[in-house]
Amino acid sequence: MALLTPAFRRWSQWLAVLWLGVVVLVAALAPVLPLPYPPNSPDLANIATPPLEAVGHWLGTDPQGRDVLSILVFGARTAVLLTLPAAVLAAVLGALAGGAAGFWGNATRLAVPYWLLGGGVGWWALQLPVPLLGLVVAAVGLGMALLFGVRKQRFPSWPIPLNAVVVGAATTLDTVPRLVLVVAMAAGTGVSIPGLLVLLTLTSWPLPARLVRAQMLRVRTLPFVEAAQAAGISPQRVWMRHALPHALQPLRTSLPLSVAGLLGLESTLSFLGIGLAPDVASWGRLMATIRNEPSAWWAFVFPALCLIISIISLNSLSRHRAAQEKLLP
Amino acid sequence: MTQHSLRKLLCITIAGLLYSCSPQRADTDVIRVRWSHDPETLDPFQFSNQASLDAVNLLHLGLLEVDLTRLKYAPVLAESLPTTHLIGDSLTELRYTLRAAAAWDNGCPVLASDVAFTLKLMFCPDLPNEAARARFGFIEDITTTATAPRRFTLVCRGQSLEYLVASGDFPILSEAAIDPRGQLRRYSLRALQRRPVTAPADTVLLDVARRYRAASPDQLPGLLPGCGPYELVAWERDRYLTLRRKTNWWPDAQLQPVPAVLQALPKQLEYVIIPDAATATLALRRGDLDVYPQMPAREYARLQTSPSTSNPLRLYSSLSYSVVMAGFNTRQPVLADALTRQALSHCFDAAGLLEATQMGAGTRTVGILSPANRINYNDSLALIPFDLKRAAALLRQAGWQRGPEADAGWVRAVANRPRQQLALRVRYRAEETLFATVALQFQAAAAKIGVPVTLLPTESGTFSSSVHTGDFDVYVRMLNGNPFMFNFTPIFHSEAIGAGNTTGFDTPASDHLIEAITTAETEQRRAHLLRRFQALMQREMPVVPLFFLPNRVAASSSLTGLQVSSLKPGYAVKTLVRAPQPSPAP
Amino acid sequence: MVGVALRRLAQTGLAVWALASVVFLLSYRDIDAAVRLALPDATEATAGPGAGSAADQATQQAALRQRLGLDLPLFYLSRTTDPQLHWVKWRWNGAHNQYHHWAMGLARGNWGVSFRTGEAVTARLGRALSFTLPLTGTAAFLAVLCAFGLGQRLARRPRGHSLLQAALVVLHALPLFVVALALLLTLANPEVVAWFPAYGLQAADAGLDTWSQAGQYALHLVLPVAALTLTALPELTLHLSGALTRELRSDYATTARAKGLTEQAIIRHHALRNALLPTITLIAELLPALVAGAVVVEVVFALPGMGRLLADAAAARDYPVLVGGILLIGAARLLALLLADLVYFWADPRIRWHS
Repeated sequence: MALLTPAFRRWSQWLAVLWLGVVVLVAALAPVLPLPYPPNSPDLANIATPPLEAVGHWLGTDPQGRDVLSILVFGARTAVLLTLPAAVLAAVLGALAGGAAGFWGNATRLAVPYWLLGGGVGWWALQLPVPLLGLVVAAVGLGMALLFGVRKQRFPSWPIPLNAVVVGAATTLDTVPRLVLVVAMAAGTGVSIPGLLVLLTLTSWPLPARLVRAQMLRVRTLPFVEAAQAAGISPQRVWMRHALPHALQPLRTSLPLSVAGLLGLESTLSFLGIGLAPDVASWGRLMATIRNEPSAWWAFVFPALCLIISIISLNSLSRHRAAQEKLLP
Repeated sequence: MTQHSLRKLLCITIAGLLYSCSPQRADTDVIRVRWSHDPETLDPFQFSNQASLDAVNLLHLGLLEVDLTRLKYAPVLAESLPTTHLIGDSLTELRYTLRAAAAWDNGCPVLASDVAFTLKLMFCPDLPNEAARARFGFIEDITTTATAPRRFTLVCRGQSLEYLVASGDFPILSEAAIDPRGQLRRYSLRALQRRPVTAPADTVLLDVARRYRAASPDQLPGLLPGCGPYELVAWERDRYLTLRRKTNWWPDAQLQPVPAVLQALPKQLEYVIIPDAATATLALRRGDLDVYPQMPAREYARLQTSPSTSNPLRLYSSLSYSVVMAGFNTRQPVLADALTRQALSHCFDAAGLLEATQMGAGTRTVGILSPANRINYNDSLALIPFDLKRAAALLRQAGWQRGPEADAGWVRAVANRPRQQLALRVRYRAEETLFATVALQFQAAAAKIGVPVTLLPTESGTFSSSVHTGDFDVYVRMLNGNPFMFNFTPIFHSEAIGAGNTTGFDTPASDHLIEAITTAETEQRRAHLLRRFQALMQREMPVVPLFFLPNRVAASSSLTGLQVSSLKPGYAVKTLVRAPQPSPAP
Repeated sequence: MVGVALRRLAQTGLAVWALASVVFLLSYRDIDAAVRLALPDATEATAGPGAGSAADQATQQAALRQRLGLDLPLFYLSRTTDPQLHWVKWRWNGAHNQYHHWAMGLARGNWGVSFRTGEAVTARLGRALSFTLPLTGTAAFLAVLCAFGLGQRLARRPRGHSLLQAALVVLHALPLFVVALALLLTLANPEVVAWFPAYGLQAADAGLDTWSQAGQYALHLVLPVAALTLTALPELTLHLSGALTRELRSDYATTARAKGLTEQAIIRHHALRNALLPTITLIAELLPALVAGAVVVEVVFALPGMGRLLADAAAARDYPVLVGGILLIGAARLLALLLADLVYFWADPRIRWHS
């Protein structure tokens, strides 16, 4: 995807990093920045004033008399605090699930006593019907383990369908578009920032999981992994130390894209009035006010520019990394 | 090939657009009115929203109906207001006579048996009639006589002035259309009312319910016959609802002169559903709409400053019966005493809010009764001033103490209890900018006297659950009133705690007064009690009534006969007439 | 091949069912708010005489629950905590529970009844779909058509169209609601130009003939379709042009050039079909994705379609409609997958050999 000249690309790269840095910095420093107005106090004397017309409101005010500049700054904070953790959490969750599914597949076996032990303790912890039954099963498992341990026999074992579980869960989440799913769930649960964070993470882990799983399937067959296994290193260690770091490669390009997608989703949700509480400053919500006040272009244009530039920067960052990877052997 | 098809497609689209732009609406019989919501249901017993009520009122008739311009109940299907007879000290009998001319569309007369049938339907299980049950549960029985099929007597539990009008304000349905075999006649109204929810299913009742549902307008338009002036022509959900004037409506031929409440002039009414206020204004200016009721203040102000050229408009306004108020959660220890509540009430700048949000229109009030209601409004009480010094003084009087530092909050020590810290959470419906502005103003004012306030704008579903479960300190909301009914039991009586009494307000004196108001024998006595009630509420201050909102209507100037009303929907739709236009639109 | 496709379909069908079940159980678990919202709010208006006490309201709610079948236990199993002993108790409810009734109803084609309007969910969904399908269908068709045109152009002369490419990259970064709002504010705003109507469909005028009515309908659809097309276009185009460029660098393209074929002929007869393969999945995903996009577009342009129905149902806690919508969209995806498999089968002879 060659876009213009390499020099321009380098420049755009720098600009993108610069812009994203500024956004993150502003987000981090928002509470201490010397803003003329706090984001949530209405100036009842200046409602929907254009930029530079009222003293102190450099970018104007929205139809409720709140300062547009303050909303932009605190909106950046909301965006960063929500999308970055969600993207990172989703990536971690996806990497672990996808990495495990790709490495072990459905073939790993676990000895029956451990199955019984785990199942029994889980049964008891979740307080399923007759919790004592869980403890009994766990005790039986423990007893078997000891018995077999003493006799130095091999345990009979059952396979763990790790791959099937991960792929099934990802497919289930992928059947319905993310926006629709979040809209439906947000209604039932009612959302705060942490709630929305969980919801976004839960709906966005399947993509990284698929990517890492596909990469892991390739990495698993590479000589160094096989060599490590042959050297007698435990599979967990091989997975953690050797295979996983290599399987994470695709996340380098997908992470910025994922942040960009979440940024768009967050502002779309705020625009629809679903996700965040209305007193949390958000670019999407600010843009939505223009529907009540069609002449207030400044309430639309400034947040839209911020959002678009951020997303373009993230996209170009991801493209740059993809190009870098192609150059690597 | 792709380029060609693209070009072709473009040409077709442009041609289609040009073609479709050309025709203009020329029909003069249709009057278009804006609704902000879909009525959702036209079931006459569900009372789900204002749009639904509007439509039901045009499709059906009740015994009595509100004359929107005179603000009085007037007889519609009934010949006159009923006569009241008090029986002992706990029963009331209301005797009604139906108009001899009143008839269904097929010419059959409206009879007392139809009224009895309608009342029984309200208590028939498996029908969406829960709201009607609560509203008309006071009618215990209906007695009809075979010799006089147009006369009947309603027996009401308790005694109240309001029974006179409240007993007749429900749409009458035709027994012959839904229950031709008279199956419901076997049951008495009392028996249906006392039937427990958990009672085993009764096949006869289920059968009636099934036929009612099959005939209801949600299934097929026009099957549930009403004797109102309009019939349903089309209803596209979330788009529009069209009503046509019946040609054979009974008052046309039978009543001379036609009483004001039985007038229905528009030939066709089209309710257009446009959720966005700004978009609706745009449609009004383009001439796609004729009436825009309940217009938001900013849209109205914009029309005042920049008159529309393509569709000359007339603007109307009146005082509504909707009061904006803040309520305190009196169950919270910090808000349990009246002095603290009084102190906080001084933090609301009602005058400033009225100026900022309503452009100065609307009226401040001392209580939840409208100042327009001159007999009952207590004009000897003073409006609560916006006075932060007084607020701080009252807080001290209530036992609160403030630390010496500038940002110290208020604390108070109460015997045997943990020390209290004054900090408040304000809850309001997020989508209402008016409430948001009130809450923000309160927050800013309270911050000045050192009371920290957190705002909790809440989505409407969550709002209603949090308010009901008491998960708030202060709320901002609106209360719709009217000049007829003064039953404050659902909002302020201790019996309603856990239901409608969301403030948890509970004093023996107020309970007693509320009961006395509902059972007052004369209007004078009631007015006296209502004035006392307003004084009591201002002393106790469970809610801070801020102001009554204005009602604004914008209509095309080609319409004549628009009468604004203080009651919802804010204008009388049945009297609208389109004046003949001097020159046809080019 | 058929076996694989059937297996995938079965898997996805199961996934759709699981998801709908989860949404059903999660939403119905907290039914109190829905019950309260379905009744008129007693605190909104000063009431008439008669009741108003908490006991009356409780009876009202009980009646509503009974009518909607919400008085039954939610699932086959229910758990209760003993308030004194904190001992958790499980109870087997048998088949007489809400989930079972819902599932059985679905199997018989009865999707339930809307809490708010009492209307059958299928009727509501059907009406909304009859509006959303033309909208999304047209948008998908236009997007694919334009992507083909633009993708070929870009692949033929990548250097000559850097501006176009830059424009596509920028467009790719625009969230749908920004595009929709921008279109609305520029092309349907009396303060700029009001070429298009700004809000939903009005009543069909009796005075207008069918053609004008169709014209009105088309006029209302222009901006929503444009918004959806514009957001779906860049990804498709960039993807297709990338694939085409790769194919044009391959050996068979060089051979074809050596034969003296024009670039256009090479693309049309050789490269396009190969480049199409990776794009098919994208196209198959387009329809479900556009349904999600319809949420935004329908809210912005006040159109009574699927998306707005779902958003409104979510806000009003109208769970039967919500769960029905999720099921329907899931089913749409199933269909798209099936289509994609069929197209693969047609486009790639290798798959046919293998099966």
